[in-house]
Amino acid sequence: MARISLVTSSSFNRQDERLCLEAKGHTVSFKKDVAKALEAILSDPPDILIIEKGLERNLDREVISALKNNLQLALMPIILVVSERDIATSLDWDCYTVDDIISNRATVEELLTRIELSIARSHRVADNNPLTKLPGNSSILKSIQNMLDQKKPHAVCYVDIDNFKPYNDKYGFSRGDEVIRMVGRILVNVVQEHCGSEGFVGHVGGDDFVFHVPIEKAEAVCQDVIKNFSALIPLFLDEEDLEAGYFTSTDRQGNVLKFPLTTLSIAVVPCEPCRYSHYGEVASTAAKLKKKVKSMEGSNYFIDRRKFKPAKKQCGSCS
Amino acid sequence: MDKAEIKKRLKEIQSLPTLPPIVSKLNEMVADEDITAVKLGKVIEKDQVLTSKLLKMVNSSFFGFPQRISTVSNAIVLLGFNVIKTLIVTSSIFEVMQASDVGLFEHSLGCATACGIIAKRRGIKNPEEVSTAGLIHDLGKIVLRSELPEEYEAIVKEAKEKGLYMREVEQERIGTGHGEIGGILARQWNLPERLVFPIEYHHKPEKAPDFKEIAAIVHFSDILIRAIGFGYGGDPWVPALDHGAWERIKLTKSQMREVIAELDEKLVELQDFTLEIKIEG
Repeated sequence: MARISLVTSSSFNRQDERLCLEAKGHTVSFKKDVAKALEAILSDPPDILIIEKGLERNLDREVISALKNNLQLALMPIILVVSERDIATSLDWDCYTVDDIISNRATVEELLTRIELSIARSHRVADNNPLTKLPGNSSILKSIQNMLDQKKPHAVCYVDIDNFKPYNDKYGFSRGDEVIRMVGRILVNVVQEHCGSEGFVGHVGGDDFVFHVPIEKAEAVCQDVIKNFSALIPLFLDEEDLEAGYFTSTDRQGNVLKFPLTTLSIAVVPCEPCRYSHYGEVASTAAKLKKKVKSMEGSNYFIDRRKFKPAKKQCGSCS
Repeated sequence: MDKAEIKKRLKEIQSLPTLPPIVSKLNEMVADEDITAVKLGKVIEKDQVLTSKLLKMVNSSFFGFPQRISTVSNAIVLLGFNVIKTLIVTSSIFEVMQASDVGLFEHSLGCATACGIIAKRRGIKNPEEVSTAGLIHDLGKIVLRSELPEEYEAIVKEAKEKGLYMREVEQERIGTGHGEIGGILARQWNLPERLVFPIEYHHKPEKAPDFKEIAAIVHFSDILIRAIGFGYGGDPWVPALDHGAWERIKLTKSQMREVIAELDEKLVELQDFTLEIKIEG
Protein backbone atom coordinates (compact mmCIF):
# COMPACT_ATOMS: atom_id res chain seq x y z
CA MET A 1 0.00 0.00 0.00
CA ALA A 2 1.53 3.22 -1.13
CA ARG A 3 1.51 6.76 0.13
CA ILE A 4 0.64 8.95 -2.79
CA SER A 5 1.10 12.68 -2.95
CA LEU A 6 -0.97 14.57 -5.53
CA VAL A 7 -0.05 18.11 -6.50
CA THR A 8 -2.57 19.12 -9.12
CA SER A 9 -5.24 21.64 -9.86
CA SER A 10 -8.63 20.64 -8.56
CA SER A 11 -9.80 19.41 -11.98
CA PHE A 12 -7.62 16.32 -11.82
CA ASN A 13 -8.46 15.62 -8.24
CA ARG A 14 -11.89 14.19 -8.91
CA GLN A 15 -13.67 12.53 -6.09
CA ASP A 16 -13.94 9.11 -7.74
CA GLU A 17 -10.19 8.90 -8.38
CA ARG A 18 -9.41 9.50 -4.78
CA LEU A 19 -12.03 7.06 -3.61
CA CYS A 20 -10.68 4.44 -5.95
CA LEU A 21 -7.13 4.88 -4.77
CA GLU A 22 -8.18 4.81 -1.16
CA ALA A 23 -10.32 1.76 -1.76
CA LYS A 24 -7.17 -0.01 -2.97
CA GLY A 25 -5.57 0.78 0.37
CA HIS A 26 -3.40 3.71 -0.72
CA THR A 27 -3.16 6.89 1.30
CA VAL A 28 -3.63 10.02 -0.76
CA SER A 29 -2.56 13.46 0.26
CA PHE A 30 -3.71 16.19 -2.05
CA LYS A 31 -2.22 19.66 -2.24
CA LYS A 32 -2.96 22.56 -4.54
CA ASP A 33 -0.22 24.78 -3.22
CA VAL A 34 3.17 23.61 -4.55
CA ALA A 35 5.17 25.35 -1.85
CA LYS A 36 3.26 23.65 0.93
CA ALA A 37 3.36 20.34 -0.88
CA LEU A 38 7.11 20.47 -1.34
CA GLU A 39 7.68 21.19 2.29
CA ALA A 40 5.56 18.19 3.22
CA ILE A 41 7.33 16.00 0.66
CA LEU A 42 10.77 16.97 1.90
CA SER A 43 9.99 16.38 5.53
CA ASP A 44 8.01 13.18 5.01
CA PRO A 45 8.44 11.80 1.49
CA PRO A 46 5.59 9.81 -0.07
CA ASP A 47 6.14 6.64 -2.13
CA ILE A 48 5.09 8.35 -5.30
CA LEU A 49 4.44 11.89 -6.46
CA ILE A 50 1.87 12.86 -9.08
CA ILE A 51 2.34 16.43 -10.21
CA GLU A 52 0.54 18.46 -12.83
CA LYS A 53 2.45 20.31 -15.53
CA GLY A 54 2.12 24.08 -15.77
CA LEU A 55 1.78 25.04 -12.14
CA GLU A 56 2.24 28.67 -11.16
CA ARG A 57 5.68 30.31 -11.48
CA ASN A 58 7.13 27.25 -13.27
CA LEU A 59 7.30 25.61 -9.88
CA ASP A 60 6.53 22.19 -11.33
CA ARG A 61 9.92 22.09 -13.06
CA GLU A 62 11.63 23.53 -10.03
CA VAL A 63 10.12 20.88 -7.77
CA ILE A 64 10.85 17.98 -10.10
CA SER A 65 14.48 18.90 -10.58
CA ALA A 66 14.95 19.60 -6.87
CA LEU A 67 13.67 16.13 -6.01
CA LYS A 68 15.56 14.34 -8.75
CA ASN A 69 18.80 16.11 -7.82
CA ASN A 70 18.44 15.04 -4.24
CA LEU A 71 20.42 11.82 -4.01
CA GLN A 72 18.15 10.47 -1.32
CA LEU A 73 14.91 11.23 -3.08
CA ALA A 74 15.93 10.62 -6.68
CA LEU A 75 14.33 7.19 -6.67
CA MET A 76 10.89 8.40 -5.67
CA PRO A 77 8.80 7.93 -8.83
CA ILE A 78 7.23 11.08 -10.25
CA ILE A 79 4.32 10.96 -12.69
CA LEU A 80 3.64 14.14 -14.65
CA VAL A 81 0.04 14.96 -15.52
CA VAL A 82 -0.02 16.47 -19.01
CA SER A 83 -2.62 17.68 -21.46
CA GLU A 84 -3.41 16.02 -24.81
CA ARG A 85 -1.63 18.94 -26.45
CA ASP A 86 1.59 18.25 -24.52
CA ILE A 87 1.48 14.70 -25.78
CA ALA A 88 1.00 15.89 -29.34
CA THR A 89 3.89 18.37 -29.21
CA SER A 90 6.10 16.33 -26.86
CA LEU A 91 8.05 17.83 -23.99
CA ASP A 92 11.69 18.51 -23.20
CA TRP A 93 12.48 15.47 -21.07
CA ASP A 94 15.79 16.91 -19.91
CA CYS A 95 13.76 19.63 -18.28
CA TYR A 96 11.06 17.36 -16.96
CA THR A 97 13.08 14.56 -15.41
CA VAL A 98 10.03 12.48 -14.54
CA ASP A 99 9.51 8.72 -14.57
CA ASP A 100 6.21 8.59 -16.39
CA ILE A 101 3.40 10.74 -17.72
CA ILE A 102 -0.34 10.45 -17.71
CA SER A 103 -2.94 12.41 -19.64
CA ASN A 104 -5.26 14.59 -17.60
CA ARG A 105 -8.10 12.78 -19.37
CA ALA A 106 -6.92 9.32 -18.42
CA THR A 107 -9.37 6.94 -16.82
CA VAL A 108 -9.20 5.98 -13.18
CA GLU A 109 -8.12 2.46 -14.14
CA GLU A 110 -5.20 3.76 -16.15
CA LEU A 111 -4.09 6.04 -13.36
CA LEU A 112 -4.18 3.19 -10.89
CA THR A 113 -2.20 0.91 -13.18
CA ARG A 114 0.48 3.52 -13.78
CA ILE A 115 0.88 4.16 -10.10
CA GLU A 116 1.31 0.50 -9.34
CA LEU A 117 3.74 0.00 -12.20
CA SER A 118 5.84 2.97 -11.15
CA ILE A 119 6.14 1.71 -7.61
CA ALA A 120 6.98 -1.82 -8.72
CA ARG A 121 9.65 -0.45 -11.07
CA SER A 122 11.21 1.65 -8.33
CA HIS A 123 11.53 -1.42 -6.11
CA ARG A 124 13.19 -3.33 -8.93
CA VAL A 125 16.02 -0.89 -9.51
CA ALA A 126 16.75 0.02 -5.93
CA ASP A 127 19.77 -1.45 -4.23
CA ASN A 128 19.81 1.61 -2.01
CA ASN A 129 20.64 1.36 1.63
CA PRO A 130 17.38 1.62 3.55
CA LEU A 131 18.92 3.75 6.29
CA THR A 132 20.63 6.43 4.21
CA LYS A 133 18.82 5.85 0.88
CA LEU A 134 22.25 5.98 -0.76
CA PRO A 135 23.23 3.59 -3.60
CA GLY A 136 24.45 0.21 -2.33
CA ASN A 137 27.15 -2.24 -3.35
CA SER A 138 26.23 -3.12 -6.90
CA SER A 139 25.74 0.53 -7.83
CA ILE A 140 29.05 1.45 -6.19
CA LEU A 141 30.85 -1.25 -8.09
CA LYS A 142 29.25 -0.23 -11.36
CA SER A 143 30.03 3.44 -10.83
CA ILE A 144 33.71 2.88 -9.97
CA GLN A 145 34.19 0.41 -12.82
CA ASN A 146 32.58 2.89 -15.22
CA MET A 147 34.90 5.60 -14.08
CA LEU A 148 37.92 3.32 -14.54
CA ASP A 149 36.75 2.22 -17.99
CA GLN A 150 36.21 5.79 -19.11
CA LYS A 151 39.71 6.66 -17.85
CA LYS A 152 38.52 9.65 -15.86
CA PRO A 153 41.12 10.88 -13.34
CA HIS A 154 39.13 10.31 -10.18
CA ALA A 155 39.97 9.53 -6.58
CA VAL A 156 38.05 6.78 -4.82
CA CYS A 157 37.63 7.50 -1.13
CA TYR A 158 36.74 4.91 1.52
CA VAL A 159 35.15 6.34 4.62
CA ASP A 160 34.57 4.60 7.88
CA ILE A 161 33.53 5.56 11.35
CA ASP A 162 36.12 4.66 13.99
CA ASN A 163 34.98 3.27 17.31
CA PHE A 164 31.47 2.91 16.07
CA LYS A 165 30.93 -0.33 17.93
CA PRO A 166 31.51 1.10 21.42
CA TYR A 167 29.22 3.98 20.44
CA ASN A 168 26.48 1.55 19.47
CA ASP A 169 27.00 -0.52 22.59
CA LYS A 170 26.74 2.49 24.79
CA TYR A 171 23.98 4.57 23.18
CA GLY A 172 21.98 1.88 21.41
CA PHE A 173 21.24 1.15 17.77
CA SER A 174 18.83 3.96 17.08
CA ARG A 175 21.39 6.58 18.03
CA GLY A 176 23.98 4.64 16.07
CA ASP A 177 21.70 4.91 13.06
CA GLU A 178 21.58 8.67 13.54
CA VAL A 179 25.37 8.89 13.32
CA ILE A 180 25.38 6.81 10.13
CA ARG A 181 22.70 9.02 8.62
CA MET A 182 24.66 12.09 9.66
CA VAL A 183 27.80 10.86 7.90
CA GLY A 184 25.74 10.02 4.80
CA ARG A 185 24.24 13.51 4.68
CA ILE A 186 27.60 15.21 5.16
CA LEU A 187 29.18 13.18 2.35
CA VAL A 188 26.33 13.84 -0.07
CA ASN A 189 26.28 17.56 0.64
CA VAL A 190 30.02 18.15 0.52
CA VAL A 191 30.50 16.06 -2.63
CA GLN A 192 27.55 17.75 -4.31
CA GLU A 193 28.74 21.23 -3.38
CA HIS A 194 32.28 20.63 -4.67
CA CYS A 195 31.65 18.43 -7.69
CA GLY A 196 27.96 18.53 -8.64
CA SER A 197 27.13 15.63 -10.91
CA GLU A 198 30.78 14.59 -11.28
CA GLY A 199 30.80 13.10 -7.81
CA PHE A 200 29.30 9.88 -6.48
CA VAL A 201 28.45 8.73 -2.96
CA GLY A 202 27.49 5.18 -1.97
CA HIS A 203 26.86 3.32 1.27
CA VAL A 204 28.56 -0.09 1.44
CA GLY A 205 26.70 -0.92 4.63
CA GLY A 206 27.11 -0.46 8.36
CA ASP A 207 29.62 2.29 9.06
CA ASP A 208 31.34 2.03 5.64
CA PHE A 209 30.87 4.53 2.83
CA VAL A 210 32.56 5.10 -0.53
CA PHE A 211 32.66 8.21 -2.65
CA HIS A 212 34.58 9.22 -5.74
CA VAL A 213 35.37 12.68 -7.05
CA PRO A 214 37.65 14.24 -9.69
CA ILE A 215 41.23 13.77 -8.48
CA GLU A 216 42.01 17.46 -8.02
CA LYS A 217 39.03 17.95 -5.73
CA ALA A 218 39.67 15.00 -3.42
CA GLU A 219 41.71 16.81 -0.81
CA ALA A 220 39.31 19.76 -0.40
CA VAL A 221 36.34 17.38 -0.17
CA CYS A 222 38.07 15.30 2.53
CA GLN A 223 38.95 18.41 4.50
CA ASP A 224 35.36 19.66 4.44
CA VAL A 225 33.94 16.26 5.34
CA ILE A 226 36.23 16.04 8.36
CA LYS A 227 35.51 19.63 9.37
CA ASN A 228 31.74 19.09 9.22
CA PHE A 229 31.92 15.76 10.97
CA SER A 230 33.98 17.26 13.78
CA ALA A 231 31.46 20.08 14.18
CA LEU A 232 28.49 17.72 14.38
CA ILE A 233 29.67 14.67 16.27
CA PRO A 234 29.56 16.39 19.70
CA LEU A 235 25.77 16.72 19.25
CA PHE A 236 25.52 12.94 19.12
CA LEU A 237 27.57 12.32 22.25
CA ASP A 238 26.53 12.70 25.88
CA GLU A 239 28.01 15.53 27.90
CA GLU A 240 29.83 13.21 30.30
CA ASP A 241 31.64 11.35 27.51
CA LEU A 242 32.57 14.60 25.80
CA GLU A 243 34.05 15.92 29.00
CA ALA A 244 35.92 12.73 29.75
CA GLY A 245 37.16 12.54 26.16
CA TYR A 246 36.52 8.79 25.92
CA PHE A 247 33.82 6.13 26.35
CA THR A 248 33.93 3.76 29.27
CA SER A 249 32.21 0.42 29.23
CA THR A 250 32.44 -2.78 31.21
CA ASP A 251 33.22 -6.14 29.63
CA ARG A 252 31.82 -9.50 30.70
CA GLN A 253 34.57 -10.01 33.25
CA GLY A 254 33.65 -6.72 34.89
CA ASN A 255 36.75 -4.91 33.68
CA VAL A 256 36.31 -1.23 32.90
CA LEU A 257 37.43 -0.46 29.35
CA LYS A 258 38.17 2.90 27.78
CA PHE A 259 37.57 3.66 24.12
CA PRO A 260 38.48 6.81 22.20
CA LEU A 261 35.49 8.88 21.04
CA THR A 262 33.95 8.34 17.60
CA THR A 263 36.02 9.76 14.72
CA LEU A 264 36.15 9.46 10.93
CA SER A 265 38.82 7.94 8.68
CA ILE A 266 39.07 8.41 4.93
CA ALA A 267 41.45 6.41 2.74
CA VAL A 268 41.95 8.10 -0.64
CA VAL A 269 43.00 6.09 -3.69
CA PRO A 270 43.89 8.36 -6.64
CA CYS A 271 43.03 6.55 -9.88
CA GLU A 272 44.98 8.16 -12.67
CA PRO A 273 43.81 6.85 -16.05
CA CYS A 274 45.18 3.32 -16.56
CA ARG A 275 46.63 2.98 -13.07
CA TYR A 276 43.95 0.46 -12.20
CA SER A 277 41.82 -1.46 -14.60
CA HIS A 278 39.59 -3.29 -12.18
CA TYR A 279 37.56 -2.33 -9.13
CA GLY A 280 39.21 -5.07 -7.06
CA GLU A 281 42.65 -3.50 -7.44
CA VAL A 282 41.36 -0.20 -6.11
CA ALA A 283 39.80 -1.97 -3.16
CA SER A 284 42.99 -3.78 -2.27
CA THR A 285 45.04 -0.56 -2.29
CA ALA A 286 42.33 0.98 -0.14
CA ALA A 287 42.58 -1.83 2.40
CA LYS A 288 46.30 -1.07 2.92
CA LEU A 289 45.65 2.66 3.28
CA LYS A 290 42.82 2.04 5.70
CA LYS A 291 45.17 0.37 8.17
CA LYS A 292 47.44 3.37 8.01
CA VAL A 293 44.74 6.01 8.49
CA LYS A 294 43.02 4.02 11.23
CA SER A 295 46.24 4.00 13.23
CA MET A 296 46.31 7.79 13.27
CA GLU A 297 44.64 9.56 16.18
CA GLY A 298 41.45 11.59 15.66
CA SER A 299 39.59 12.16 12.38
CA ASN A 300 41.88 11.94 9.38
CA TYR A 301 42.23 11.36 5.68
CA PHE A 302 45.18 9.71 4.02
CA ILE A 303 46.02 9.98 0.33
CA ASP A 304 48.10 7.39 -1.49
CA ARG A 305 50.92 9.64 -2.73
CA ARG A 306 52.97 6.97 -4.46
CA LYS A 307 53.79 8.23 -7.93
CA PHE A 308 52.23 6.45 -10.84
CA LYS A 309 54.29 5.97 -13.99
CA PRO A 310 52.13 4.80 -16.85
CA ALA A 311 53.65 1.89 -18.70
CA LYS A 312 53.43 2.87 -22.33
CA LYS A 313 53.49 -0.66 -23.57
CA GLN A 314 50.33 -1.60 -21.73
CA CYS A 315 48.13 1.23 -22.77
CA GLY A 316 48.31 3.49 -25.76
CA SER A 317 45.96 6.10 -24.44
CA CYS A 318 48.26 7.11 -21.56
CA SER A 319 51.19 8.46 -23.50
CA MET B 1 -11.48 30.83 20.19
CA ASP B 2 -10.08 28.80 23.08
CA LYS B 3 -6.91 26.85 23.80
CA ALA B 4 -8.15 23.53 22.48
CA GLU B 5 -9.16 25.07 19.22
CA ILE B 6 -5.83 26.84 18.91
CA LYS B 7 -4.00 23.56 19.50
CA LYS B 8 -6.04 22.02 16.72
CA ARG B 9 -5.17 24.91 14.43
CA LEU B 10 -1.48 24.54 15.25
CA LYS B 11 -1.54 20.94 14.05
CA GLU B 12 -2.52 22.08 10.58
CA ILE B 13 0.23 24.65 10.18
CA GLN B 14 2.61 23.63 7.42
CA SER B 15 4.61 26.79 7.13
CA LEU B 16 4.65 30.35 8.38
CA PRO B 17 5.06 33.45 6.25
CA THR B 18 7.97 35.84 6.51
CA LEU B 19 8.97 39.28 5.24
CA PRO B 20 8.90 39.61 1.44
CA PRO B 21 12.23 41.54 1.17
CA ILE B 22 14.14 38.74 2.91
CA VAL B 23 12.71 36.13 0.62
CA SER B 24 13.44 38.20 -2.48
CA LYS B 25 17.00 38.84 -1.29
CA LEU B 26 17.52 35.10 -0.80
CA ASN B 27 15.97 34.33 -4.18
CA GLU B 28 18.45 36.71 -5.80
CA MET B 29 21.30 35.02 -3.96
CA VAL B 30 20.14 31.58 -5.09
CA ALA B 31 20.33 32.72 -8.73
CA ASP B 32 24.01 33.56 -8.28
CA GLU B 33 26.23 30.70 -9.47
CA ASP B 34 28.91 31.18 -6.85
CA ILE B 35 26.55 31.09 -3.92
CA THR B 36 27.21 28.57 -1.15
CA ALA B 37 24.99 27.05 1.51
CA VAL B 38 27.06 28.84 4.16
CA LYS B 39 26.37 32.25 2.61
CA LEU B 40 22.63 31.52 2.45
CA GLY B 41 22.81 30.43 6.08
CA LYS B 42 24.14 33.87 7.08
CA VAL B 43 20.91 35.47 5.86
CA ILE B 44 18.59 32.70 7.00
CA GLU B 45 19.90 32.91 10.55
CA LYS B 46 18.67 36.51 10.74
CA ASP B 47 15.05 35.52 10.17
CA GLN B 48 13.09 33.67 12.81
CA VAL B 49 10.60 32.09 10.43
CA LEU B 50 13.15 30.70 7.97
CA THR B 51 15.38 29.55 10.80
CA SER B 52 12.59 27.63 12.47
CA LYS B 53 11.57 26.16 9.11
CA LEU B 54 15.11 24.90 8.55
CA LEU B 55 15.22 23.40 12.03
CA LYS B 56 11.82 21.80 11.51
CA MET B 57 13.08 20.08 8.40
CA VAL B 58 16.38 18.81 9.80
CA ASN B 59 14.71 17.49 12.96
CA SER B 60 11.95 15.77 10.97
CA SER B 61 11.62 12.01 10.83
CA PHE B 62 12.77 11.85 7.21
CA PHE B 63 16.11 13.50 7.83
CA GLY B 64 16.30 11.40 10.93
CA PHE B 65 17.83 13.63 13.58
CA PRO B 66 14.89 14.04 15.95
CA GLN B 67 15.37 16.83 18.49
CA ARG B 68 19.07 16.89 17.87
CA ILE B 69 19.88 19.97 15.78
CA SER B 70 19.53 23.45 17.23
CA THR B 71 21.57 25.81 15.05
CA VAL B 72 21.43 27.01 11.45
CA SER B 73 25.07 26.21 10.73
CA ASN B 74 24.63 22.58 11.77
CA ALA B 75 21.33 22.33 9.91
CA ILE B 76 22.86 23.47 6.61
CA VAL B 77 25.66 20.90 6.83
CA LEU B 78 23.03 18.17 7.06
CA LEU B 79 20.40 19.54 4.68
CA GLY B 80 22.76 20.66 1.93
CA PHE B 81 22.48 23.33 -0.71
CA ASN B 82 19.69 21.82 -2.82
CA VAL B 83 17.25 21.38 0.03
CA ILE B 84 17.94 24.89 1.31
CA LYS B 85 17.47 26.32 -2.14
CA THR B 86 14.10 24.61 -2.47
CA LEU B 87 13.05 25.88 0.93
CA ILE B 88 13.83 29.41 -0.19
CA VAL B 89 12.16 29.15 -3.57
CA THR B 90 8.98 27.85 -2.00
CA SER B 91 8.84 29.92 1.17
CA SER B 92 5.69 31.92 1.78
CA ILE B 93 5.51 35.61 2.56
CA PHE B 94 3.15 38.03 4.24
CA GLU B 95 0.77 39.29 1.62
CA VAL B 96 0.77 42.70 3.22
CA MET B 97 3.80 43.61 5.26
CA GLN B 98 3.03 45.83 8.25
CA ALA B 99 5.40 48.08 10.16
CA SER B 100 4.94 45.88 13.22
CA ASP B 101 6.21 42.86 11.24
CA VAL B 102 9.51 44.63 10.64
CA GLY B 103 9.53 45.72 14.28
CA LEU B 104 9.18 42.15 15.47
CA PHE B 105 11.83 40.98 13.00
CA GLU B 106 14.29 43.53 14.41
CA HIS B 107 13.35 42.69 17.97
CA SER B 108 14.02 39.00 17.39
CA LEU B 109 17.31 39.65 15.65
CA GLY B 110 18.41 42.04 18.39
CA CYS B 111 17.43 39.57 21.08
CA ALA B 112 19.41 36.83 19.33
CA THR B 113 22.46 39.09 19.21
CA ALA B 114 22.23 39.89 22.92
CA CYS B 115 21.77 36.19 23.74
CA GLY B 116 24.90 35.28 21.80
CA ILE B 117 27.02 37.90 23.58
CA ILE B 118 25.83 36.88 27.05
CA ALA B 119 26.13 33.16 26.33
CA LYS B 120 29.72 33.63 25.20
CA ARG B 121 30.54 35.59 28.34
CA ARG B 122 29.09 32.88 30.51
CA GLY B 123 31.31 30.37 28.79
CA ILE B 124 28.41 28.34 27.38
CA LYS B 125 29.76 25.71 24.99
CA ASN B 126 27.46 26.40 22.09
CA PRO B 127 26.52 30.10 22.15
CA GLU B 128 24.97 29.86 18.68
CA GLU B 129 22.29 27.65 20.16
CA VAL B 130 21.37 30.30 22.71
CA SER B 131 21.15 32.97 20.02
CA THR B 132 18.88 30.66 18.02
CA ALA B 133 16.60 30.37 21.06
CA GLY B 134 16.61 34.18 21.28
CA LEU B 135 15.87 34.53 17.59
CA ILE B 136 12.79 32.31 17.64
CA HIS B 137 11.47 33.11 21.14
CA ASP B 138 8.50 35.06 19.70
CA LEU B 139 7.54 32.42 17.11
CA GLY B 140 4.11 32.30 18.78
CA LYS B 141 3.49 35.90 17.72
CA ILE B 142 4.04 34.98 14.07
CA VAL B 143 1.55 32.15 14.51
CA LEU B 144 -1.05 34.55 15.88
CA ARG B 145 -0.28 37.12 13.19
CA SER B 146 -0.67 34.68 10.31
CA GLU B 147 -3.21 32.14 11.57
CA LEU B 148 -5.49 34.35 13.67
CA PRO B 149 -4.98 37.75 12.06
CA GLU B 150 -8.17 39.27 13.46
CA GLU B 151 -7.50 38.13 17.00
CA TYR B 152 -3.93 39.33 16.67
CA GLU B 153 -4.98 42.76 15.53
CA ALA B 154 -7.48 43.00 18.39
CA ILE B 155 -4.82 41.89 20.88
CA VAL B 156 -2.31 44.45 19.65
CA LYS B 157 -4.95 47.15 19.73
CA GLU B 158 -6.22 46.32 23.19
CA ALA B 159 -2.69 46.08 24.60
CA LYS B 160 -1.94 49.50 23.22
CA GLU B 161 -5.17 51.16 24.34
CA LYS B 162 -5.31 49.74 27.84
CA GLY B 163 -1.56 49.87 28.39
CA LEU B 164 -1.35 46.13 29.03
CA TYR B 165 1.25 43.54 28.08
CA MET B 166 0.40 41.57 24.98
CA ARG B 167 0.63 38.28 26.85
CA GLU B 168 -1.96 39.52 29.39
CA VAL B 169 -4.42 40.34 26.66
CA GLU B 170 -3.67 37.04 24.90
CA GLN B 171 -4.37 35.14 28.12
CA GLU B 172 -7.63 36.94 28.56
CA ARG B 173 -8.88 36.66 24.98
CA ILE B 174 -7.64 33.23 23.90
CA GLY B 175 -6.72 31.56 27.16
CA THR B 176 -3.06 31.09 26.30
CA GLY B 177 -0.02 33.19 25.42
CA HIS B 178 2.45 33.52 22.57
CA GLY B 179 5.14 31.78 24.63
CA GLU B 180 3.05 28.68 25.05
CA ILE B 181 1.85 28.75 21.44
CA GLY B 182 5.43 28.99 20.18
CA GLY B 183 6.40 26.18 22.52
CA ILE B 184 3.64 23.90 21.28
CA LEU B 185 4.59 24.52 17.66
CA ALA B 186 8.30 24.02 18.33
CA ARG B 187 7.58 20.73 20.06
CA GLN B 188 5.29 19.64 17.26
CA TRP B 189 8.08 20.42 14.82
CA ASN B 190 10.41 18.16 16.79
CA LEU B 191 12.85 20.93 17.75
CA PRO B 192 15.24 20.11 20.62
CA GLU B 193 14.04 20.86 24.14
CA ARG B 194 16.97 23.23 24.52
CA LEU B 195 14.98 25.49 22.17
CA VAL B 196 11.42 24.52 23.12
CA PHE B 197 11.71 25.39 26.83
CA PRO B 198 13.30 28.81 26.36
CA ILE B 199 10.57 29.71 23.83
CA GLU B 200 7.78 28.48 26.06
CA TYR B 201 9.11 30.01 29.27
CA HIS B 202 10.75 33.22 28.12
CA HIS B 203 8.42 35.22 30.35
CA LYS B 204 8.79 32.89 33.36
CA PRO B 205 12.23 31.31 32.90
CA GLU B 206 12.45 29.77 36.38
CA LYS B 207 9.40 27.60 35.64
CA ALA B 208 11.18 25.86 32.74
CA PRO B 209 11.55 22.12 33.49
CA ASP B 210 15.10 22.15 32.08
CA PHE B 211 17.61 24.46 30.38
CA LYS B 212 16.81 27.23 32.85
CA GLU B 213 20.06 29.00 32.06
CA ILE B 214 19.20 29.36 28.35
CA ALA B 215 15.67 30.44 29.27
CA ALA B 216 17.08 33.05 31.68
CA ILE B 217 19.43 34.45 29.04
CA VAL B 218 16.59 34.71 26.51
CA HIS B 219 14.35 36.32 29.13
CA PHE B 220 17.00 38.89 30.03
CA SER B 221 17.98 39.61 26.41
CA ASP B 222 14.32 40.10 25.46
CA ILE B 223 14.09 42.82 28.12
CA LEU B 224 17.51 44.32 27.40
CA ILE B 225 16.87 44.76 23.69
CA ARG B 226 13.53 46.51 24.36
CA ALA B 227 15.23 48.81 26.86
CA ILE B 228 17.83 49.73 24.27
CA GLY B 229 15.02 50.46 21.84
CA PHE B 230 16.01 48.21 18.95
CA GLY B 231 12.99 46.90 17.04
CA TYR B 232 9.53 46.56 18.54
CA GLY B 233 8.57 43.76 20.91
CA GLY B 234 4.84 44.50 20.78
CA ASP B 235 4.41 45.89 24.31
CA PRO B 236 4.19 49.52 25.32
CA TRP B 237 6.46 48.88 28.34
CA VAL B 238 9.70 47.17 29.07
CA PRO B 239 8.60 44.13 31.11
CA ALA B 240 9.89 43.43 34.61
CA LEU B 241 12.94 41.24 35.11
CA ASP B 242 12.41 37.88 36.79
CA HIS B 243 14.34 37.88 40.04
CA GLY B 244 15.30 34.20 40.02
CA ALA B 245 16.50 34.40 36.42
CA TRP B 246 18.66 37.40 37.20
CA GLU B 247 20.20 35.62 40.19
CA ARG B 248 21.04 32.76 37.85
CA ILE B 249 22.90 34.79 35.24
CA LYS B 250 23.80 37.89 37.24
CA LEU B 251 26.29 40.29 35.64
CA THR B 252 28.22 42.92 37.55
CA LYS B 253 27.94 46.57 36.61
CA SER B 254 31.23 46.57 34.74
CA GLN B 255 30.35 43.31 32.93
CA MET B 256 27.01 44.84 32.00
CA ARG B 257 28.77 47.88 30.59
CA GLU B 258 30.93 45.64 28.43
CA VAL B 259 27.92 43.66 27.23
CA ILE B 260 26.10 46.82 26.23
CA ALA B 261 29.16 48.23 24.45
CA GLU B 262 29.56 45.00 22.46
CA LEU B 263 25.85 44.85 21.73
CA ASP B 264 25.82 48.46 20.47
CA GLU B 265 28.62 47.68 18.09
CA LYS B 266 26.87 44.58 16.72
CA LEU B 267 23.55 46.39 16.35
CA VAL B 268 25.20 49.08 14.25
CA GLU B 269 26.50 46.33 11.96
CA LEU B 270 23.01 44.83 11.76
CA GLN B 271 21.45 48.15 10.86
CA ASP B 272 22.67 47.99 7.26
CA PHE B 273 20.78 44.77 6.85
CA THR B 274 17.59 45.84 8.61
CA LEU B 275 17.58 49.11 6.70
CA GLU B 276 17.74 47.21 3.43
CA ILE B 277 14.74 45.15 4.55
CA LYS B 278 12.78 48.25 5.54
CA ILE B 279 13.48 50.13 2.33
CA GLU B 280 12.56 47.24 0.10
CA GLY B 281 9.42 46.67 2.13
